[in-house]
Amino acid sequence: MTAPPPSRPSPDRAAVLTGVGGCLPPTAVSNDELSVRLDSSDAWIRSRTGIRQRYFAAPGTATSDLAVGAGAKALKSSGTPVVDAVLLATTTPDRPCPATAPVVAARLGLTGTAAFDVSAVCTGFVYALATAAGLIATGAADRVLVIGAETFSTLLDPDDRATSVIFGDGAGAVVLRAGEPAEPGALGPFDLGSDGGREDLITVPAGGSRQRLSGRSPTPAERYFTMDGKEVFRHAVQRMSASARAVLDRAGWTPADVDHLVGHQANLRITNHVADEVGVPRPRCFSNIADVGNTAAASIPLALDQAHADGVLRAGDRVLLTAFGGGLTWGSTVLTWPRLDHI
Amino acid sequence: MSETYDRLVELLVDRFEVDRSEIGPDTKFEELDMDSLFLVELLLVIQSEFKVAIGEDAATPGDTVAAVAGLIEDRLPASSPSAAAASATAERS
Repeated sequence: MTAPPPSRPSPDRAAVLTGVGGCLPPTAVSNDELSVRLDSSDAWIRSRTGIRQRYFAAPGTATSDLAVGAGAKALKSSGTPVVDAVLLATTTPDRPCPATAPVVAARLGLTGTAAFDVSAVCTGFVYALATAAGLIATGAADRVLVIGAETFSTLLDPDDRATSVIFGDGAGAVVLRAGEPAEPGALGPFDLGSDGGREDLITVPAGGSRQRLSGRSPTPAERYFTMDGKEVFRHAVQRMSASARAVLDRAGWTPADVDHLVGHQANLRITNHVADEVGVPRPRCFSNIADVGNTAAASIPLALDQAHADGVLRAGDRVLLTAFGGGLTWGSTVLTWPRLDHI
Repeated sequence: MSETYDRLVELLVDRFEVDRSEIGPDTKFEELDMDSLFLVELLLVIQSEFKVAIGEDAATPGDTVAAVAGLIEDRLPASSPSAAAASATAERS
């Protein structure tokens, strides 16, 4: 089933990217370290995922700690420490209630600003960008801090080889400001979608109302993240490819116009496959998954921060963002990379 | 071997970075270090390139390259492969 195309965005007020930052916990965990417990090997993990290491937060750290680190850097990068709203995309909030964004805002000295979480698993950051762009388009906000932050390690079954080698912890953030649709950094159009009929493919079964009202206690395994790897691979490739094509079409770009495809860092083989399907040469497909693993909602802003820091993203480069996650959810957008200071 | 087999070999070399010298008709995918997840990916590539759908259960890592080429040929329409490609449309078009 195909949703009708969205109406044209408001022509006069766009969300323009004006700052970027990232934050990783201090401890990198190598494939060899994980392999001891998992009967795996560095070669096996690399060939199947492209991942060389990931970062795990230490006891005493929470998602908000990483979010504050990334948010502070993005605000500094933007040159102005003030925003009207803070959006936090996360699968791993500090608590089930309340949302984590308000405490992140308060710790950034932004008490009084609107602040809420966005929950769309690995698509969360793209959903949050679209939400922030909406806040700006309606005039509800002039500047928005959008953060993707995860302590995904808290959901992982340490004995599950299929998931525990893939995911890692981290946070990335961008600052958006009101601006003109034609100026560098302007986001959009967007393509967003979901298919709740396949919610079973990526799930943490316990901890929500479904389990709590079931009348029975959860098994230990139900508290962990589970994923049907093969089905997720198939859906991820097909949904991201279709969404990326849709947003390119709406933007009036061809695959040849794309200087950098920054996809959700799910698995190197998935992002390479998406690049092939969309028609973007693999060398234009930015990847930092080797160094950080799959950081879920944090993966795209962490990749943007890394690509900016490395000088891969240069002012004027045309960038395609695409993501896929649990829900199922997916989303894409485009922007021309703006001139940003290196901090 | 058939044109379909030759195209399948090209896909294995270009998309999966398999060493061409390791591929023969009787080579099993598991001998190319391709596990079940690789096979999911291969079936997606086959769907995209040949415009034919092969169910996940129809092929295993223990199958040979020639056997999968045969699965593709069984599903190709009677008309030429290029005509089939031209008539196929993407899911969200």
